[in-house]
Amino acid sequence: MWKTSEIGHSQVEPATKQLLPPCQIKCPINEDIQRTNVLISLLPDTIEAARDGIIQIGEYLYERNPFFNICGYICGLCELECNYKNEGGAIRRRLLKRFLSDTYTPYLNEKPEVNIVKDRENVAVIGGGPSGLMAAFNLTRQGYRVTIFEASQRLGGALWLVPEYRLPRKVLQTTVENLVRIMGIDVRYNTKFGEGRTTVNRLISDGFKAVFIAKGTPNARQLTFGKDVVEGQDLSGVMYGLDFLYEVSHGNIPPDYFKNKKIIVIGAGNVAFDSARTARRLGGEVSIVCLEREDKEHRDGIPADEDEIRGAWEEGIKIYASRGVRKISGKNDEFEGITCPLCTQVYCDTGFNPEFDTNDEINLTGDVVIVTIGQAPDLELLKKENLLDHRGRLAVDPHTLQSQINPSVFIGGDVRRVGFMIEAMEEGIKAAESINKYLNDEDLKVASKDYEAFGLPERPYYKIATEVLWIPPEQRLHFQMFEKGLTLKEAITEAKRCATCGPCVSCKACISIGFEKSLYAVQVDKERCSGCGACVYACNYESARLVMKDGRLISDTDMFRCKSCGMCVAACASNARKMVDDQTAEKIKKAYAELK
Amino acid sequence: MNKPKIVCFSCKFSWGYLADESKLAAEISNWIPIICAGKIDAEYLVDAFLHGADGVLILGCPEGDCHYQDGTIETKKRLALLRQALAVYNIEPERIRLVLARDPEGKDIPGHIEEMAKAIGRLGKIKTAKA
Repeated sequence: MWKTSEIGHSQVEPATKQLLPPCQIKCPINEDIQRTNVLISLLPDTIEAARDGIIQIGEYLYERNPFFNICGYICGLCELECNYKNEGGAIRRRLLKRFLSDTYTPYLNEKPEVNIVKDRENVAVIGGGPSGLMAAFNLTRQGYRVTIFEASQRLGGALWLVPEYRLPRKVLQTTVENLVRIMGIDVRYNTKFGEGRTTVNRLISDGFKAVFIAKGTPNARQLTFGKDVVEGQDLSGVMYGLDFLYEVSHGNIPPDYFKNKKIIVIGAGNVAFDSARTARRLGGEVSIVCLEREDKEHRDGIPADEDEIRGAWEEGIKIYASRGVRKISGKNDEFEGITCPLCTQVYCDTGFNPEFDTNDEINLTGDVVIVTIGQAPDLELLKKENLLDHRGRLAVDPHTLQSQINPSVFIGGDVRRVGFMIEAMEEGIKAAESINKYLNDEDLKVASKDYEAFGLPERPYYKIATEVLWIPPEQRLHFQMFEKGLTLKEAITEAKRCATCGPCVSCKACISIGFEKSLYAVQVDKERCSGCGACVYACNYESARLVMKDGRLISDTDMFRCKSCGMCVAACASNARKMVDDQTAEKIKKAYAELK
Repeated sequence: MNKPKIVCFSCKFSWGYLADESKLAAEISNWIPIICAGKIDAEYLVDAFLHGADGVLILGCPEGDCHYQDGTIETKKRLALLRQALAVYNIEPERIRLVLARDPEGKDIPGHIEEMAKAIGRLGKIKTAKA
């Protein structure tokens, strides 16, 4: 089994301009995607032999992203930008991480606590979701003493709202519980922000030098039509998606709860689809009503992930697209039905601005309606804590996440802007950086990152992506995972597909496993170079190029793009190219001298 | 003739990367692991014969697996030309062999060398004087 060593550890440094593979740019926390793909592709062929390697790869990922195993179930943003997308399908990065998770998540229980001297300031983190945990993780690593104040009795925040058929409870629980154990982070459960001593002012007077507010936005948005709140939302049988998913995840809703019931879900985001598919799994006959159009490519298209839409459709959920809800009707305080006018436009150039044709209306009846049209901030609490500006909006610098009212307060995650898990995590990282700078009296200003993506290197063959297998719809109306994970063999094959578009400096997998000593620089001897261009032809990365110098064409190497593969050196007929410090020629010479 | 001397280049991305390299090197004579088959300069190959090798075996990655996209294709092109050039010096094309496969443990490498040695043995010594 290969062993990786520290020397080749890759990192993304914030630079004025940096070339990276597009997947790594797309990932809000710039995970080393190419690097882990290469490492996975070199794993042994049996799971027993591969275990150490998988854990080693997991340890690399964990350093930057202690939620990588969860990303393996529910993220996959990087795949949207994979260069391979149009050549047989994006590299199935998410499933590759899920594959690592199969071995790594159980290992978390035995992963030793890190040994960090925590002799720096006390920092309070409000909220134990992805954003708060990420900030706590990064602050702790720098020696800060972090206390997380969590409103509920468990960590994980909104991740608990992801249905179990997409993210197994055990994976989530193992991850969050071990994270605070491994890092030695203090957690106070059942501690609500704004109550008791958990207010900004009291925390500061209790000795916390900075407070990061990442409390999420757990309140559901009420249904409105035009400027008015739709009446009837207090009827029995009207519920909100967030509350519904919360109750399901707490095991408060028995199986078959919706048996022989007609359920209407209003909304078109992932949470709406999660609610609908969950209701379907509880035995209901489910329809979705949404303003958006079925055509996902359209500006007014359904925003939920394609997999969610496909899953819902396969599971027999009917979608009424381009329909608003003007009226909720009921009888004897019981929900009865909704009136849905045609929605002719959702967005205009200035943003959300739905328009309806009330001459074209349909009536839908049902037993339960689940409103899932987004989340609303708890403005009253935020106002009480003096976090809003005079217009009633969060007063926070979007780059540094520092409050514009109280410099020792930082705000991020869903409470600032509802988004993907990984975006909340990104804000946690940002907040930790800002807090560190703030407590060191440094300028908080963030250098803007300017990345340039690599294109797909030309390959003689492109391979088709490994097929993702879903349990057939009639067999998956339960809460077990419906998507099959990759086997070791599939994972190796899939990882090998990666065209490794990125530059070597952002990867260095070959150095970590001892294939190479360093990334050799290619030197061109200008006297020898004839400017023939054979090297340009041999190079697959647009690194070798011809430039005009002193009135003649000579070849040159763009070191940002160079992979030190040596193909240009081998192709050069006049020995003008060589790799600095590369010992290959000497090794060969030595072998020839001892020829047996 | 005595046992033919075979120089064996192997690409690190497909051959022997799970094995202990020094252990494997002790078992296999004249074995040169290299980062990519595409890096094997024509000069290295000619040099091998100049130093008394009877054959050169190149173990590359399966088609389409090259970490550097088309190292195997580059090698193939190079070998096609080189074999013609060597033929002028009476060095038979069979004296350079390319095998594209994957063998992480490297356990097949001795077998491949053995097999090639047998074939080269039938050809006998190179019939050209040292240049």
